[in-house]
Amino acid sequence: MNSLAGNRVIWLAVPALGFLAIFYAAPLFYLLARSFIGPNGFSIGLFTAFFADAYNWRVIGNTLRIALLVTLVCLTVGYPVALALARSKGLAQVILLTAIILPLSVGVVVKAFAWQIVLRRDGAIAKLLVSTGIWDEPQRLLFTEPGLVIGAANVFLPFMILPIYSVVKLIDPRLWEAGATLGASPLYRFRKIILPLTMPGLISGMAFVFSMSVSMFVIPSLLMGDRFQTLATLTGRSFLLMRNEALGSATAVVLLVLAVSIVVGSTWLSRRIGRSG
Amino acid sequence: MSDPAFLDVRQATKSFGATRVLDGVDLAVGKGEFVSLLGPSGCGKTTLLRLIAGLAAADSGRFRLDGQEIAALPPHKRDVGVVFQSYALFPHLTVAENIAFGLKAKGAPAGVIAETVKQFLGLVHMEALADRSVRALSGGQQQRVAVARALAVKPKLLLLDEPFSALDRKLRETMQIELRRLLRELAITAIFVTHDQDEALIMSDRIAVMNRGRIEQFETPEAIYARPATPFALEFVGLSTRIAGTVTAYDEAGFVTVDTPQGQLVARGRFAAGSPVLLGIRPERIRFGTEGGENRIAPVLRDIVFQGARVQAHFVSPDDRPILIETSAALPAGLAAGMPVPISFAAADTLAYPAEAA
Repeated sequence: MNSLAGNRVIWLAVPALGFLAIFYAAPLFYLLARSFIGPNGFSIGLFTAFFADAYNWRVIGNTLRIALLVTLVCLTVGYPVALALARSKGLAQVILLTAIILPLSVGVVVKAFAWQIVLRRDGAIAKLLVSTGIWDEPQRLLFTEPGLVIGAANVFLPFMILPIYSVVKLIDPRLWEAGATLGASPLYRFRKIILPLTMPGLISGMAFVFSMSVSMFVIPSLLMGDRFQTLATLTGRSFLLMRNEALGSATAVVLLVLAVSIVVGSTWLSRRIGRSG
Repeated sequence: MSDPAFLDVRQATKSFGATRVLDGVDLAVGKGEFVSLLGPSGCGKTTLLRLIAGLAAADSGRFRLDGQEIAALPPHKRDVGVVFQSYALFPHLTVAENIAFGLKAKGAPAGVIAETVKQFLGLVHMEALADRSVRALSGGQQQRVAVARALAVKPKLLLLDEPFSALDRKLRETMQIELRRLLRELAITAIFVTHDQDEALIMSDRIAVMNRGRIEQFETPEAIYARPATPFALEFVGLSTRIAGTVTAYDEAGFVTVDTPQGQLVARGRFAAGSPVLLGIRPERIRFGTEGGENRIAPVLRDIVFQGARVQAHFVSPDDRPILIETSAALPAGLAAGMPVPISFAAADTLAYPAEAA
């Protein structure tokens, strides 16, 4: 009876699945399949050529390094915010939530242009760092990797905060108190109670931010320019500027395989660590 | 108590906004004693517990435990264990890991941890489920783990916040007796918060009856049942018949004559003539017939409720107030609802309290 009802409910997913299959999966498959077709049918020639070029390895390195840094920045900044958000009440919580969600309604192009202004030599960040004495003289952050990481972290931050927040909210506050009455210091309680219990939210937040930063196109284009290529910008250039659809398909495949395997792999790994630790 | 109290709370006061939840509470508990805080919800009993554990800060008051001032200490440095109402077990840990948590946090050697966990698993009969996730446990099992976890760190004082409220009645009675025995064996000093008078009467060495942020009476269960200090204690602990009246005369022996809708009754108490009073009589102190004492009335019988070992007889007074008899003796023959039945009770069993302004 139960399994029958369960099976019937599954049919509710059919419209969405159909939509995705026709308008997303099929074109994607077509695109990706092209990278395996040479002049004489099936061939992995594109890939051997791609990996033979040292420049492309630098592009892969750029892509992974930036995505990793953005994820780390979002994690360090977002985790405390998620805890604060979950424990805040009333108006404070409304204000915090609005501050986190409202920026999502501003397009990424607008945000990237705004960051161009902020990251300039006479921008807000440079002025702040000079006036606090951290920098002796104003420097340009725009078109540098730190500038890109800061800008991208800003755009993706809500995708780190919200999954962690939704998990923290479900943790019984009594667990924290119970830990205290058992003689555990706040640091120990954080490590042994809060951290393991927030791990699922942490993992999904990191997966979100990593996959979005590994494939971002607009932000690096506007904040770094053409001298700096990632797999995503290279894919874009191949299609839009170079009209080299085969190369674009190949880089898209490399990007997809890298991103999916890193997200799936790290998820699996952290779940294992979470379970055994 | 002549020796300084093991736990000594003086003038504990706590307000939430404009609401004063605790109003200058004194509480002294001896080493090894099992004390209940008994009162209705909102009386401040859980707040008092949280102040002692350090989970909330008192507005004012002194807190001493084992000769040490603890008011300024954070909860993890107080040596005060808590069993929470919801148990608050760590859902990501197994039964054994939950019990080991406090020992690990305090940096006990692995050998000691393993041995202590084994010992407490045995004490609460959970050896077989040691490696089970706590999520897979029943309510009673969760409660046992919560008790074992709190006791494993050997706290100076154990606080229990309504630990039986989530259990069904039968299980609750078993667990009450089991916990009482366990705490006696380990000579643990414990404070137990409950709104269930039966639970308090069964388990406690002494009961603190709390009402509106104050302790109204703090004595043994027997003393509280026999001589409730206030009308609230009378009403909250045990069943009673309450009759309102006005004092007409008093004597030197400590008895007053009271004019009531039932007629003249004599009660224990010292009041001036003309004082409005409330009389209270325990149901098992009232007898059928006229031999039960100097107070004799004849209210109308409404209902007889058979309860197994005992029988309750419900009467209604001329002014429509309930009167209750509870007896394990045989009932007089020929009783029928609607007829007036003579009953009686002793003046010494009739307690008089100043009537509360309604």
